Amino acid sequence: MAFPGQPAPGGGFYQGGYGGAPGGPAFPEQAQDPLYGYFAAVAGQDGQIDADELQRCLTQSGIAGAYKPFNLETCRLMISMLDRDMSGTLGFNEFKELWAVVNGWKQHFVSFDNDRSGTVDRQELEKALMTMGFRLSPQAVTAITRRYSTHGKITFDDYVACCVKLRALTECFRRRDVSQQGFVNFQYDDFIQCVMSI
Amino acid sequence: GFPGAGPAPGAPPSGPYPGAPYGSGPSPAPGAPYGQPPPGGPYGPPGCGPQPGPYGGAAPGGNAPPGVDPEAFSWFQAVDADHSGYISVKELKQALVNSNWSTFNDETCLLMINMFDRTRSGRIDVYGFSALLRFIQQWKNLFQQYDRDQSGSISFSELQQAFSQMGYNLSPQFSQLLLARYAQRSPSPSIQLDRFIQICMQLQSTTDAFREKDTGLVGNVRLSYEDFLTMVVTRML
Repeated sequence: MAFPGQPAPGGGFYQGGYGGAPGGPAFPEQAQDPLYGYFAAVAGQDGQIDADELQRCLTQSGIAGAYKPFNLETCRLMISMLDRDMSGTLGFNEFKELWAVVNGWKQHFVSFDNDRSGTVDRQELEKALMTMGFRLSPQAVTAITRRYSTHGKITFDDYVACCVKLRALTECFRRRDVSQQGFVNFQYDDFIQCVMSI
Repeated sequence: GFPGAGPAPGAPPSGPYPGAPYGSGPSPAPGAPYGQPPPGGPYGPPGCGPQPGPYGGAAPGGNAPPGVDPEAFSWFQAVDADHSGYISVKELKQALVNSNWSTFNDETCLLMINMFDRTRSGRIDVYGFSALLRFIQQWKNLFQQYDRDQSGSISFSELQQAFSQMGYNLSPQFSQLLLARYAQRSPSPSIQLDRFIQICMQLQSTTDAFREKDTGLVGNVRLSYEDFLTMVVTRML
């Protein structure tokens, strides 16, 4: 995917129009990463970004492409997906990871959005989720399409929110499926915490 | 075991009401920590935000449908900005405010609309709205009870206490995670009424989902991946 801020020909540090962090970047190798420009532009002194800053960052970077920028709730969800230290914020490496994941989902979405409307319909969503490997019962698919569609259409933003939740739930289950048989014994308190952490 | 003494499905316990300063409903009450509410009640004037003009106290509401409180009815009419006879998530959001004057977040409004929407249309009628107001008032009373230092928001230790008193046995890390996700970034993060309602509603949904599977009431269930996804997705979205 082409986005603004490609490295200048011949290599070297390209500031991407936003400048590096005040006083220069902390890690020289980060500075050469085009993503660092977007990140540094919104991150504070602590080198972390919260949901509001992530929203700005993703919008400026153009990852949503022709699609509308992400809403705040989706940004909050994306942070929780990678927020290993439970700080409610992302550092640069986590941000890079997020970027790669969201890009992958975007390619997938685009392949189903045949009329380039920025939305997919229910059947397309179901197909997209199945090809991503989620084994969903009919009730689950109905619940998902009801929750995420507006007038029968699902936007890219809502699609990402849906993918984040499914991925987080899958991770949650997989971590507890010690024998890898596809079954987990859940204690009540653990179940609550697992489900409400997504 | 399950939190037996906890809130009944859908509503917090109708325990002792907190002291006088909070009033007993959507009527103006003096004093901190919720400040001097503008006319229309502690949730702010209906439609507060971009709408200009005074709302005053509740209009007489003479045409209230049978069984609907006149004040709830006049509030309904004010909130139903497009006069469709229904209130949408968007309209509801404009009508409800936290103690720091932020409007209720989308997720909480969505959860509440779904709870009182009998037609599965994503909107509520005047009866649903009237029930929703009572629902919110009950949660608000509980919130104020747990807000021991009367700050208008619930801190980490207050949240721990709340869970414990509701009968849940949840780890400090869990409360930490909720605060990290839902509180403003600050040295002492705390959550507002909207997020408190959201959290409690989700705790109840999750408990119901689990209890349904745990027919032997042993506190433990064996789930396949597909069952797990279905359970969560059908109840938590």
